[in-house]
Order: sequence, then structure tokens, then C-alpha cells
Amino acid sequence: MPTPDEVQDALCEVMDPELPISIVDLGLVRGVEVDGGMVHVRLTFTSLGCPCTDVIREDIRERLMRLPGVQHVEVEEVFEPWSVRDISPQGLVTLRQLGIT
Amino acid sequence: MDQESFLERLRRGQLVEGPEHCPEDYIESLKRTLIVSADTELISVPAYFRAAQDAPNLNAYISAMGIIQDEMGHAHIAYRLLRDLGVDVESLIYDRDPREFKHPYAFDVPLDSWTELVVANAFYDRAGFVLLKDIFLHTSYGPWKRALVKVNREETFHLRHGERWMTILAQDPQKRDELQRAVDWMFVLTLEWFGLPDSLKRHKDQISYGLKGKSNDQLRQEWMSATVPLCEKLGLKVPAHYDHEREEYVIDCPFPADFDAENKRWNFEKGPVTWDDVLQRWRARGPANQELVRQLQVGYRQLREALAA
Repeated sequence: MPTPDEVQDALCEVMDPELPISIVDLGLVRGVEVDGGMVHVRLTFTSLGCPCTDVIREDIRERLMRLPGVQHVEVEEVFEPWSVRDISPQGLVTLRQLGIT
Repeated sequence: MDQESFLERLRRGQLVEGPEHCPEDYIESLKRTLIVSADTELISVPAYFRAAQDAPNLNAYISAMGIIQDEMGHAHIAYRLLRDLGVDVESLIYDRDPREFKHPYAFDVPLDSWTELVVANAFYDRAGFVLLKDIFLHTSYGPWKRALVKVNREETFHLRHGERWMTILAQDPQKRDELQRAVDWMFVLTLEWFGLPDSLKRHKDQISYGLKGKSNDQLRQEWMSATVPLCEKLGLKVPAHYDHEREEYVIDCPFPADFDAENKRWNFEKGPVTWDDVLQRWRARGPANQELVRQLQVGYRQLREALAA
């Protein structure tokens, strides 16, 4: 079974569908639990009408199912408030390099 | 600045930053290129909006609306660049006759279903992406090059959306035939999008001025190199294949061909037509031309009439 940290590491490879920044650096991942072969991810979005929700959920499931021992992935949309302050320092550097401020 | 020293500057890779640094002829060519791009992004808004009403669920609808909002932003960028070049953009958008809009003929054929919308996201947005990526890499006009970074990032999501939904529909026994029918008329219409073959093309100024880098035929090849494998992977038939000896994609149907826009059907049995026939069809515009452009213009006109009263 993966540890929650290993799940978190794997989620660092799941990218935003438009920008080269991971959903972890973007501050969307709000919690990870591992229970046997079952991984539960709590996820928020940058806006309520985010057009990319289906795609991001699919990418999370696809990546985590490749972790040894994972049989089931559950993505829970929590809609906790998100703001620019949730972006990691590394993420901010990436966005600035792209000309997004 | 004389023409030769200007072209020499472009060859050294120097970017043009404004109209004061280049010949009038360059600006006119740049404007023509920008208007095509701006009109194409803008007309996709009512065209996609119409078909988005057929979305199968709320998340799908939200995705489609996100794409439409992106396209509106891309149009805004291109019109803004035109305004900076001294073009009266308000009158360009709101007073122009619908037939004078410069978007590709494909958008004059209405998209009537979610299936046709997602094929448009995969085919038309791929065509736009191929063209804009070429402009991003090669344009000599600095302000446009910088603006396209954001545009191309957003277009990658549109492609993903279109290809993802084509994959879903291809696996659905009840939708598969409908998907193939959409591919049948939209594939060849997108091939046409890239315009006259290099052997017939008259205007070479776009390339000599460094406004674009690749030729029409090269861009058509690039579009096929993404689209044909996608369709083959999904088990969809398309009239083109990769020829290993020629090392290029080959079109397997009469091309260009006669198109029955009302019935969304290619009359391949008539054999190939000439590009003059195609240009004539383009100039006559397609069935949705008036409706879509009027939809863009109606609010502004009502407001102006109300203010005048």
C-alpha cells in the first residue's frame, strides 16, 4: 500500500490541463487518506464553474491507479475556498515565468 | 525605411514592435492576417454556444461554456492588436456585412449537436492551434507573439476536451454512428480550412514578411498528423492515410470536392472540383453565416438604436 506521502508525490505529477503546474502546487489537494487498497483524495477547484473538473478527476484516478496496491480511487470535491495564496512558492515562480501574475 | 533593409532586419530575427517601424504594406498584410484570426475566434462563440445547448450533463455544459469564454478572450486579444494598429474595431465587428467576415467557411455550416460540437473542438480547434502555433513560432510582430502564449495554452484544453469526448462517444453504441457522420463531413471541411495548395497560392507576402512560417500544404499535413491517428485509434473512418514511401499523409477522396451544406454531405461521386469552385462556395457563404454574425451584432445595434431614440 502507498503511504499518504507517496500518494501526495504521485499527485505532484498531475498537471493543470492548461498550465505546466501540478494540482498540488496549485493548492487544489486538500487531503489524502489511504485505507487498504482505497485512496481518498479531497479536492477543491479554483472556481465553482471550473471547466476542467472532469479532466482533472480523470487524471488523478489514472495516475493513482498506477501506484502498486491501489484498487480504488475516490475523488471528493470539497469546494473549500481557493485563492492565489494557496499556490506554492514553486507554483508562483512557474506562473510568473509564464507571464501570469 | 526602405523595403530591402526592412526585410534584412526581419531575416536577422528582429521583431516589429509597432507601425512606426515598418512599411505600410507590412501593416496591411498583418491586418489581413489578424482579421482572419480575430473573426475565426469570434464566430466560434455563437457557433459553439448554439451546439452547447445539447450538452449531455451540467459538467459537460460548464466545460463547453469555459471554452466559449476562452474563445471570446482570444478574439478580444486579436481585435485589441488591430485597434492598436489604428483599425476602427467597433465598426469592424458591429457594422460589417456578415458575408464580409473572414472566418473559414466551416463555421458557416451550423453545429447542431453535442457530437458535432466536440468534433469541432477536436478538428477546428486543432486547425486553429496548428495555425496559431506556426504564427507564435514565426511571426515577426512582437505584440502578437507575446499574446499567443496564453492563447495556445488554453487551446490545448479545448483539444483535450474534444478528443476526450470523441473517445467517450466512440465507445457508446448509440452515439457511434452519429459521431462517424460528423467526422465524415467535418474532416474534409477542415482540410479545406488551410486554403489553396502551395502550387496555386498567390499571396506569398505572409511568409516573406515573417507573419507565418509554414505553407498551407505543410500546415494541412501537420493537422492530419494529429487528426488521422486520433480517428484511427477510435476506429473512425477518415479519407486519408499515412503513405510510408512518400512520408506524408495522402487524401483518399476527391479533393477539393463539391459540398452540399444543407445536408452536410460531400458529393464525392461528382469527382474533384476546382479550387475556383471552392472559392465561389466560400464567397457565397454557408447556411449559418447570417444567423451567427447577427447574433454577435444584435445587442450592440439595439443599444445604439435605443440611445439614438
